[in-house]
Parts: sequence; structure tokens; C-alpha cells
Amino acid sequence: MNNNPLFAVAAVYDNPDKIISAVTKIANSGYRKFDVNTPYPLHGMDGAMKLKSSKLGFITLFFGLTGAATALLLAWWTLSVDYPLIIGGKPFFALPAFIPVTFELTVLLATVSTVICMLTFFFRFPANSYPIHDTQYMKDVSGDKFGVYVEAADSRFDLTELTILFNETGAVRIDQIYLPAKEVYPLFQPKFLWFLFSVFVITSIITYFSLNKLMYMEPFDWMADQQKQSVQKMSVFYSDEFGMRTPVKGTVARGFIPYKYLGQAVPSDTMKNPLPPTSSVLELGKKKFLTFCSPCHGNFADGDSRLRGQFVNPPSLHTSRARTITDGFIYHIITNGQNAMPSYSSQVTREERWSIINYLRVLQKAKNASDADLKMAKKESVSDGK
Amino acid sequence: MDNKENIALDYRYELPVVEGNLKKSDIDDLIAAPLEKKANKNFYISLALSGTALLIGVVCIATTLFNGIGVWGNNQPVGWAFDIVNFVFWVGIGHAGTLISAILFLFRQRWRTGIARFAEAMTIFAVMCAALFPVLHTGRPWLAGYLFPYPNQNGLWINFNSPLVWDVFAVSTYFTVSLVFWYIGLIPDFASLRDRTLSKTKKIIYSILSLGWRHSHRQWQHYEKAYMLLAGFATPLVLSVHTIVSFDFAVSVLPGWHTTIFPPYFVAGAIFSGFAMVVTVLLFVRKIFHLEQIITLNHLEKMNKVILATGMMVGYAYAMEFFMAWYSGVPTEQFVFINRAFGPYAWAYWIMISCNVLFPQLFWFKKIRRSTTAMLVIVILVNVGMWFERFVIIVTSLHRDFLPSSWGMYSPTLIDFGILLGSFGLFFTLVILFTKSMPAVSMSEVKAVTEGAQPQHHGVSDHE
Amino acid sequence: MENNLLRYSNKALPKRINAAGFILMMSGFSFGIIAYFYDAQRALQNYLIMYLFLISIGVGSLFLIALEYIVNAEWSVPIRRIIEFLASLIPYLIVLALPLLIKLNIIFEWTHIAVVRDDKVLFDKSPYLNITFFVVRAVVFLLIWNLFYWLITRNSLKQDTSGDQALTKRNIKLSAVFIPCFAITITFTAIDWLMSLEPHWFSTIFGIYFFSGTIVAALSAVTLIVVLLKENNYLHPKIIDDHLYSLGALLFGFVNFWGYIAFAQYLLIWYADVPEENFWFMHRWQNGWWIVSLLLIITHFVVPYIVLLSQPAKMDHKKLKFSAALLLCAHILDLFWIVMPSSQNSSFSISWIDFVFPVAGIGIVILAFSYKAKRENLLPVGDPKLERGLNFHL
Repeated sequence: MNNNPLFAVAAVYDNPDKIISAVTKIANSGYRKFDVNTPYPLHGMDGAMKLKSSKLGFITLFFGLTGAATALLLAWWTLSVDYPLIIGGKPFFALPAFIPVTFELTVLLATVSTVICMLTFFFRFPANSYPIHDTQYMKDVSGDKFGVYVEAADSRFDLTELTILFNETGAVRIDQIYLPAKEVYPLFQPKFLWFLFSVFVITSIITYFSLNKLMYMEPFDWMADQQKQSVQKMSVFYSDEFGMRTPVKGTVARGFIPYKYLGQAVPSDTMKNPLPPTSSVLELGKKKFLTFCSPCHGNFADGDSRLRGQFVNPPSLHTSRARTITDGFIYHIITNGQNAMPSYSSQVTREERWSIINYLRVLQKAKNASDADLKMAKKESVSDGK
Repeated sequence: MDNKENIALDYRYELPVVEGNLKKSDIDDLIAAPLEKKANKNFYISLALSGTALLIGVVCIATTLFNGIGVWGNNQPVGWAFDIVNFVFWVGIGHAGTLISAILFLFRQRWRTGIARFAEAMTIFAVMCAALFPVLHTGRPWLAGYLFPYPNQNGLWINFNSPLVWDVFAVSTYFTVSLVFWYIGLIPDFASLRDRTLSKTKKIIYSILSLGWRHSHRQWQHYEKAYMLLAGFATPLVLSVHTIVSFDFAVSVLPGWHTTIFPPYFVAGAIFSGFAMVVTVLLFVRKIFHLEQIITLNHLEKMNKVILATGMMVGYAYAMEFFMAWYSGVPTEQFVFINRAFGPYAWAYWIMISCNVLFPQLFWFKKIRRSTTAMLVIVILVNVGMWFERFVIIVTSLHRDFLPSSWGMYSPTLIDFGILLGSFGLFFTLVILFTKSMPAVSMSEVKAVTEGAQPQHHGVSDHE
Repeated sequence: MENNLLRYSNKALPKRINAAGFILMMSGFSFGIIAYFYDAQRALQNYLIMYLFLISIGVGSLFLIALEYIVNAEWSVPIRRIIEFLASLIPYLIVLALPLLIKLNIIFEWTHIAVVRDDKVLFDKSPYLNITFFVVRAVVFLLIWNLFYWLITRNSLKQDTSGDQALTKRNIKLSAVFIPCFAITITFTAIDWLMSLEPHWFSTIFGIYFFSGTIVAALSAVTLIVVLLKENNYLHPKIIDDHLYSLGALLFGFVNFWGYIAFAQYLLIWYADVPEENFWFMHRWQNGWWIVSLLLIITHFVVPYIVLLSQPAKMDHKKLKFSAALLLCAHILDLFWIVMPSSQNSSFSISWIDFVFPVAGIGIVILAFSYKAKRENLLPVGDPKLERGLNFHL
């Protein structure tokens, strides 16, 4: 023990008044690196040691306020902004109802943070290798004696002076405490490496087991594997074991209105065009015509298909037949299909179909305008003055 | 030794907290003795008894988990029964511990030192027993994670307006803070044990648990500040927890439940039942571990006074509820109270009144306050009465509410009783194990309040 | 030790304090009489506020004395006599109650037989809410308070000269009996004088609510007076900041308690939202009353909480005086908030009448206190716990 450097000289007292006076003397003599060890806190020791008051309260305050703010923000965000629900007729931001949770979170954060900060920052715990551990001095101050020690590292340290001071103030015993022998722990000792390895192995086994096996065992699989019929799951009810069934004949999608005359080559009746030939309707019709109809019927409905014979060329749509059939009949052709033309009901919506028909009528009119129509147009363009 | 109380009290001097002129080393020896001696036959017998009760509870819980809540007696209209009664009962018992540690600390009552550690431990164990019930009564407790707000695919959040969610926050906060408070108190004692023990394994364990505490006054300074801050927070916390538990009932519109006095009434009732349980357990502990000079008759007498006071508060609340039921003129409210006293569960009501209001009045008499036998009987009756109070509140208000066609009756099943028994088993098993593994009394705090422990003369202003 | 203290003679307060009290009381009452002829209902309501404020301070102080005895506190022994002086308001309450008891019909709706006859709810309450029983209750409570006041303070005074410890024991027993009586009487005082102003409403916690405000008021009065006396060297030099800290901590605790009770009452009624209860709070939010509600929370809870939160603040003279004075005003505001909105069809308004009676009340407190200070020791010199109390340190 004597080979190690001196850490401190310590004195043990058995009377609280004596140690208070001793510590007062030590603090007044200008020593800085000293400490007092008592089995319970002595009143008046703060003053004797000239300690500044603890700043722990500020941490409590800060984290307490954080807790309150967190709780309020959480409740506000979840219940007033993200997914507001009317609960019991109360407003979305129901402050009285948020108070209990706010209070609890304040207390939780304030207390837990205080303790953790105290243990880690103020005390630097765990600290089991402090030099005074495992000495007779430690045993005494843990039990029923009071102790004070002055570290050798203190600038004013003088062994004789301190011994005199301790004896004068009535110390029961004076000890010398030594720093423990420096133990070198090379990082890659075999023991440590084996430890790392076994931790790795055990963690891997547990992880593999929990994620790949445990989650599929009862009861952990109860949520994932429920008795209800899930999509693409085998059915235990139907003989063909298909869970997904074809809909009953005649089933329509929600919001779908079936076309009455579907399947009839010649419709028993036709519908009336509900859309007037306004410019927006005609714009839409032109756009859709060029997209869907022009590949076969040509850009101007002349029947000049650009499919180069890969598909049957349709007749021109400027024939008298095309001009005289009703809008509804054309609608029927688009919806139902005719001869080689397939049904376009899945590509153009109803509104678009009527718009196309309006546009087609414009094209037809353009190619078959009468003199009276031309005069009308010319008159209008002249009067426009452009 | 117990009854030599005929000398008149001299008010000029404070009553000694520790009797018999014990030296500090004696205190250490007394408190550490159960930890350093080998367990004897009585220990194993008592452990076996409580362990059996616990096992019965485990079996019943397993039955419940496997088969569902249908194995309990809950029905319509009595949707809450033994589960919530037991929950409120155990949470209430937990409150005494925090009150003794925190509130009596703030009031600078030095006599709390002998009993604080044990009471804090009881709080933690009681809260553990309590937490069992809300978790089980959800029906699918493995989904309990849903109770916490985390982002999920459904985009749903928890309902911060619901007192059941407030319960989740309150009970978890209470458990965490009690645990932290208890552990902080244990650190210096673990250090003392570390320095006393001769066993190598125990030394390692205590070293780890004490985190290297070296009784330095620089640390005591922060420690005392932290302790006071924790006590300052734990006090409103304990009030808030049982208040929030009372909100479970009081925010409803049910007659007998919706009444504004519930928060302070429940808190007073919690302290009442908690102290009764503390006295029950301490009567045995002080006898078995020879701690009569540290947990003295004065301690017990003071606790009995608290029991008397809080019992009268509970009686006040009963009277207030009854008066307001009449005064309000609301027929359903009036019916509830008549039904409680004279309806099919009247037997439970009168057990409650006699055990909570009548028998504790015996504590007006000093002789009874200081008699260990008498107080044991009374405090056990108090615990019974407080259990029945929760039963009366919950079951009578539910079984007959607004619509007579919905009225029904409730009877518990064997599983209900089994789980109740199991909760007692859990509690007492933990208590017994605690007494054998950790110091049941705070060594540092008791040493600090013995005669001559503090310096005689210290300056007026130690505070900056 | 004992001879030294016995020579601690009573110190009368300076004459100007007495004069101030007298002026406040006389001017308050003179304007009060004018106010009565100007607007009888408002005047009587404010008189009621003053009466209850004096009950709070007087009976609340007696409760504090009883509390000290049963918990065997030592730090409060040196200042107990000051609390007893405040409790000396109790005998005056008998006289002060008379104007109210005579003119109940001006402020209480249930006194009007025609109204009660037509309203089933009020009719069913009439076995309790009728003038005879009401007056009997008020008188019995006053007698109970006076009885305990007289017994307890007489013992305390006797002890000054005899130092007999049996008197302490007797007072402990009296206190133990007084406290349950106090609980019942203060509860029904609140129910009778405050809750029945809106006789359709009921709340089981109301008694406790009034109790919490009462204790805050009593503690504030004690704190304010103790700090003022200490600053002017009227107190024994051994009464130090540590004693003030205990007062400050108690005050802080009860402010929290009031906030807790007030919030609990509000939350439950707000949450269930049943029409037979919620109208009471609606009356105190609509028609401009929301200003008073918010002001109440701020002055009675938020500001004192922040001011007294830290440990050093609880023994800081300035902060204690500020908080105590603020809380006394807040208690008057609390009573104002309960009483005034109960008159039919009232929207919030302040009138000069609202200041008249509180002023008179403060005058009465000052007069009662200085009257006692002239005649009795400011220190309970014969109390066996006095030495421990004076040596008290945190």
C-alpha cells in the first residue's frame, strides 16, 4: 500500500459538533480540495464547507415546463389539428380535459430528469473506484462516524499541519488514504473479446427467434392470423377454396349507372344529347376526338386512318347517313361498338362522349356548309372588323 | 414495554423518535440483521402462504386471458365490478407510502423516518397490483400498447379527453416517480450495506446498486435538494393520481357517480386505507424483526390519529353526498342512496359504514390508539370497509341506474375472487421478499434523528 | 427562561393604526347605509361578502389554532397569539349577522313563498331552505364558534400567567372536538349563505371549496400581519425567516389546494354538461362575467403560484406581503364571483357599492386586532412549547 502515491489524509470524528468546527477551520484555512463524509447529512455543514447552493432546481424547472409544453402540444396536435373528433360535444381544443395529462407529464419529466441529471452530471455515477472505497475510513463513515479528508493534490497540502489541526479538533483517528495501484485493462483481452462474441451470438439468436419464430407462434400471431377472410387467403368455406368470389351477374360498381341499350345492334331507343355546344364542351370534344377517334377516323373524320391497313378503315363520317343519324345513335355506337369498332365506354366518359359528338357535328357542318351558313359567317367576321 | 404510558407528557420536550437510547451502530445492526442472517422457517412458511395465493391468482388470470372476460361476473348493466373495485383499492393503498415519504417530509415530521422506507416499498408493490386490473379488464391486454400515442396506419390517436387515458398517464407516472423516489432513498443504505457486508457476492451487488455512493457531503447537498424537489412533486402527484381515478366515475352522468366531491373524497379514502394497510403490515414487521424501538408505539399512535382524521373525512363525504342527494331534488340521485342503504346490496353498504365510520371512532381513546391488538383489529376492518366502499360505489350505481328495465344484479365468480386473492398474494410475496433483500427501515434517516445526531449549534442562515 | 419571557410585555400597536381602522370602518359603514337606500340588493350582497370574509378570517384563524394543537406543531407557537387576535373577530360576527338575518328576503329567492310554491324543486327543499331553520342554523353555528373561541383562547391566556401544561392538554382535546364541528359548520355556512343564492344548484364539494378559500384567507391575514409586525420589530427577535418560510410554505400549499378544488368542481360540471348543474358556471361566464372568472384564476392561483414557487421566495418579506395581500383581495373576489352573478338577469358591472363593505371589513379586522394587542401579550409566554418554537430552524 505504501508504494502507491498518497491520495489524501483523513480524520474520523465521533461527534457532530467537533467535525463542524474542524471543517470550518479547514475551509477557513484556504483548503479547496477536501470533502466531508457522513452517514447522513449534518445540518450546518453546507455553511461550514462554504458550499454554494445547489442548482438542481433549475433543471427541474426547465424539464417541468418542457413536460407541460410537450403534453399540451401533443394533445393540441393530435386532437385539434391532425384528426379532430367531436368527443362528448366538447370543442376540439378542450383545455380543461387536457389539464390532467399535462400535469402528469410535467411531474414525470421534472422528477425523472432531476434524478438522472443529479446522478450522471452532478455525481458522475457510477463511481465505484473512488480511492476512499474499501478503506476502514469508508466503513466508519458509512456506519456511525463522521469523516473529513484533504486531498494531497490541494495546493496548500501539508501533512504535519493537517495532523495538528485534526488532533486539535478532537479527531478519533487519522488515516492516510492511498490511490489504488493503476490497473491496466488492455482493450482486446481475450476475456473481453469472448464476452463480446458471446453477447453477439446470444443477441443474434434471441433476435432471430423473436422476429422469425416467436411472432408466428401463439399467441403473438393472433393479430396477424385472424379468423376473418383476408384478401388472397385460402377459404375454408367454399369448395373451390377461393376466398375471392366473382360478383353475382348483374352486379354493378357503386355509382355506376348501366347503359340501357347495351348489346343491342340497333338500339330500341336513343338518348338525347344533354350538352350544349359551348366552347368548353367543344374544346373537350376536340381533344378527345383527336385522342381516341382520329387514329381510325382521321383528324377531320374523313376516314383516312393512319393505321396503314393494320386495322379496317372506317367509312367517312361526312356521309349523309352519318349526318342524319341522331346524336343518341352515335352515342350508342361509341358505347356499344358497331361492326369492327369496339366499345369505347371504358376509354371515354359519358360527358366526353357527348362532347365528341358535338365536335363531330362541327366537323360535319364545316365540310357541308351551305351558302347561307357561309354568308352568315362572313357577315359576322366583317362586322367584327378584323 | 408497550403500556408504560402513565407518565404525563411534558410539552417542553420533543418525543424521542428512536427509543431506548440506541446507538447508531445498534440501528445499523438491527436494520441490517434480516439481510445478514439466513432465512428461518417462518420466512419460508409465510412465503409459501403468500406464494400459494399468488399462484391461485396466476391460474385465474391465465384462465381469463385464455377464455376472455366472460369468466368474470361482469354483465350488463354491471360492466365494471371486481376489476375496477380492486384497481381503486390497490391504488388507494399505494397512496399512504407517498404520503408518509413525501408529505410528512415536507411537514418536517421526523417520526416518518422509521416507517418511510417500508411505506414507499408498499406503494410500489400496491401500484403493481393495481396496474394489473385495468390491463386485464381491457380483454385483449396484449394490445395495451394501443393506449400510448404513437403514429399508426389508421392515423388514429388516443382520446386525451377520456379519464381512462388520464389513468394511463397518472398511474405510470406515479409508479415511475415512486420507484425513483424509493431508489434514491435506498442509495445511501446500499452504500452502508456494501461497507458492512462480508460476503463477496453481496458486496458486488450492493456496489452496483449504490452506484459508488461515498456519503460525501458535496453529494448530500444535491441529494437533499433532489429529495425535497421529489417530495414537492410527489405530493401533488399523489393527490392527482387518486383524483384522476375518481374522475373515472365523476365525469359520467350516473347518479351516485357524478358528484363533485369525489376527488377529495377519494384522496382522503386512499390515505385512510393506505395507512390502515401500513399499520397492519408494520405491526407484524416490528414484532418479527425486533424493530420496536425504531417503529415505536408513538409512530403507531400518530398513524392511528391520521386514520381517525381521514376516516372522518370519508364520513363527511358520505354525509355530504347523502344530504345533496336530498337537497338536489333529483329523484334518480335520491333513489341511488336509498337503494344503497336498503336495496339488495344493503349488506355491503352497512359493512362499509360500520368499518369506515363507526369502528375508527374508537381511536378517539388513547388506550385503544396505543394497544397493538385493538389497532390490528380496527385497521383490518378499515381495509375491509374501504374495499366495500368501492364495491358499493361501483356496483350499486351501475346495477340500478336511469332505466328500470335495464336493472340487473351482479354476482362475482370464483375467478373474480381468485384474482383478488392473487393480488393479495402478489403484494405480500413482494413485501416478504423485500424484507429479506433490502433494508426495511431507512438506516441513514433514522440515524439522523437519534439524540445527539445533529450538531447542537449551527448558524441561523445556512441558506444563501 | 420563563422569567425572561414573562417580562416580554404586551406592545400596543401605534395609535395611527387604530385610527386607520376606525376611519375605514366608519366610512365603510356610512357609505354602506347610503348604498342600502340606493340599491338594497347590491348593498346587501356586498354586506354578505364582507360578512363571509370576516368569517373566513375569524373562524379560519380559530381552525389554524386548533390545527396547531392537534398536530403538536412547534414553529407556530410563537405566533399563535397573533392568530388568536384574528380569531377575536368571532364574537363580533353575532352583531354583524343581524342585518343579514333580518333582510334575508332581499337576496335569497327561496324566501319568497310565492316563488317556492310554484317551483317544485324549491318546494321540496323548503324543509331545509326556510327562514326559521336558516336563522336557527346561523345562530347555532355562531354560538358553536363563539364557545370554542372563548374556551380555547381563555386557556391560552391563562397559561401566560400560570404556565400550566394541563391547559395545553385541555386545548388539544378542545381542538380535536372543534375540528369536526368546524367542518360541519363551515360547510353548511357555505351551503346556506352562498350555494342557496342559486337554490336550483348543488355541488357536494362546495363546502370544501369555501373551506379552501377560508384557509387561504386566514393564512394570508396571518402572514401579512406577522411580516409587518416583524419588520416593525414587534416580534420576539428569535422569530426568524425560518418561521416565515413555514407560513409561506403553508400558504403556497393551500393556494394549490384551492386551485385543485376549484378545478375539480369546474371540470366535473363542464365534462358532464348536465343542464341542472352547468347553468351556474354559465352565469359566471356569460354577460361579461368571464372577465371576473379569468381574473379570479389569475389572482387566486397563477400569480401567487409563480411568486411563491421557489424556496427563497417563501421567506422573502416583500414576496410574502405581496402574495398575502393579493390573496386577501382574491378571496374577496372569489366571494364576489360567487355572490353577484346570482341575482337575476345580471350582467357584469362594478359599482362604488362593491368597494364600500370590503373597506369596512378591513377596518373591522384592524380594530379587532389592535384592541386585543393592547390588552394581551403578542407572545404566548407561558406555553411549554414556546422555547422549542423560538429555537425552531429549518
